[in-house]
Amino acid sequence: MKVGQPEKFIIDGKRLDGRAVDELRPLKIKAGVLKRADGSAYLEWGGNKVIAACYGPREVHPKHMMRPDRAVLRTYYNMAPFSVIDRKRPGPDRRSQEISLVTRQALEPVVLTNLYPRTAIDIFIEILQAQAGTRCTGITAASVALADAGIPMKSLVPACAAGKVDGEIVLDLFDIEDNFGSADLPVAIIPKTGEVTLLQMDGNLKGDEFERAFKLAVEGCYQVYEKQKEALIEKYGGGD
Amino acid sequence: MRQMVFPGDEVAEGRVRLGGGVYRDGDKVYSSLIGLLDKKPNYVRVIPITGKYIPKVGDYIIGQVVEQLYSNWDIDLNSPYVGILSSDDFYRRLDPYSTELLEVMPIGTLVYARVREVTPTRKIYLTMRERVARILRGGRVVEITPTKIPRVIGKKMSMINMIRKETGTTIKVGQNGRVWIKGESGKVDIVVKALQKIEREAHLPGLTDSIKDMIIEEREKI
Repeated sequence: MKVGQPEKFIIDGKRLDGRAVDELRPLKIKAGVLKRADGSAYLEWGGNKVIAACYGPREVHPKHMMRPDRAVLRTYYNMAPFSVIDRKRPGPDRRSQEISLVTRQALEPVVLTNLYPRTAIDIFIEILQAQAGTRCTGITAASVALADAGIPMKSLVPACAAGKVDGEIVLDLFDIEDNFGSADLPVAIIPKTGEVTLLQMDGNLKGDEFERAFKLAVEGCYQVYEKQKEALIEKYGGGD
Repeated sequence: MRQMVFPGDEVAEGRVRLGGGVYRDGDKVYSSLIGLLDKKPNYVRVIPITGKYIPKVGDYIIGQVVEQLYSNWDIDLNSPYVGILSSDDFYRRLDPYSTELLEVMPIGTLVYARVREVTPTRKIYLTMRERVARILRGGRVVEITPTKIPRVIGKKMSMINMIRKETGTTIKVGQNGRVWIKGESGKVDIVVKALQKIEREAHLPGLTDSIKDMIIEEREKI
């Protein structure tokens, strides 16, 4: 047993932070928090604190990245040195490059890039504080920031993870469950159609466990989607 | 009052003509933007309330010369795309071979021009062969959100004409979110304040009257 590993993750049907197995951490989203960015969002999801900023459409630099038929979408995921318990060495690493890539791939299907050929749309995701599930938090924040910037998109993209601890399928892992649990399954979807734009798995799940975890994560996504819409309604009013 | 819609909201169904800010998926039509729904029996669009300026043919814009190449000036439009103004489209005849174009309009010159053509690859050709087009000398430029320009102009130009009348300033409004003002410096300050108020309160009804009250109040202070 590793240092810090709890003996049991679920006691009397409650998880270590007091949640039920199918309960999300408290989620708060605020749209339009940055004045200089074209669009932005601040998100607190349990212990995760994330800012996403969106710029664009704007001119593409370097020029060779320009595409004559569509806009290029570029995402940058970055963790602050103080976002985790051991100081994170600043700058891009393999992990953040991977997350930047999957974030872009999660958002590309909804952004109508063909409307703005020869331009770039840049998204910056800054993790201020991390408590597991930052890629889901980042995607959720980024899609609110895109909408706030007035970039045409088919839909918002909510993301949420499910996983396995103590042989049970649970929703939205927090750091202890993520570090010492058996599996983590982040999912992002397009709510209207149910299409999946992000699906990764860390750890092992049996076939039926995967089915259950996936279903639970998708349900979580729909809850996140409601919060995203609330954030936009809060800034722009209306919505009935 | 128009309804506010968000990306992915269903806005129409069946056979309708689509304007901007919407897309069709199967039989249904959805919004692709945050904006106000403009829905007629056989036409639907979403009026954006945030976003960058994208040039459209016929728009009047306020641009700034940033580069000169061959017989063209490149004009910054406060947009992802750069405008091209050919010497043929200048308001008077120029011989590009014998004139130094940068002596006619050096880098930094402000122009009020019209978008003549937008190509499928988004090259933006401007023209100054228009009665109202001209070089803007002196004055001050403020930038506001391009989506709020219609509110600055007002119905049948009511807002902009009222501001002109009450402050005695010369004003040019570009669809690209730039407003150029020339006049007494105190009066120009009032117009800038009025524009900022319009930008903040673009969604409120009765804005022309409240702006008029504000201008009169500010004028007393001078």
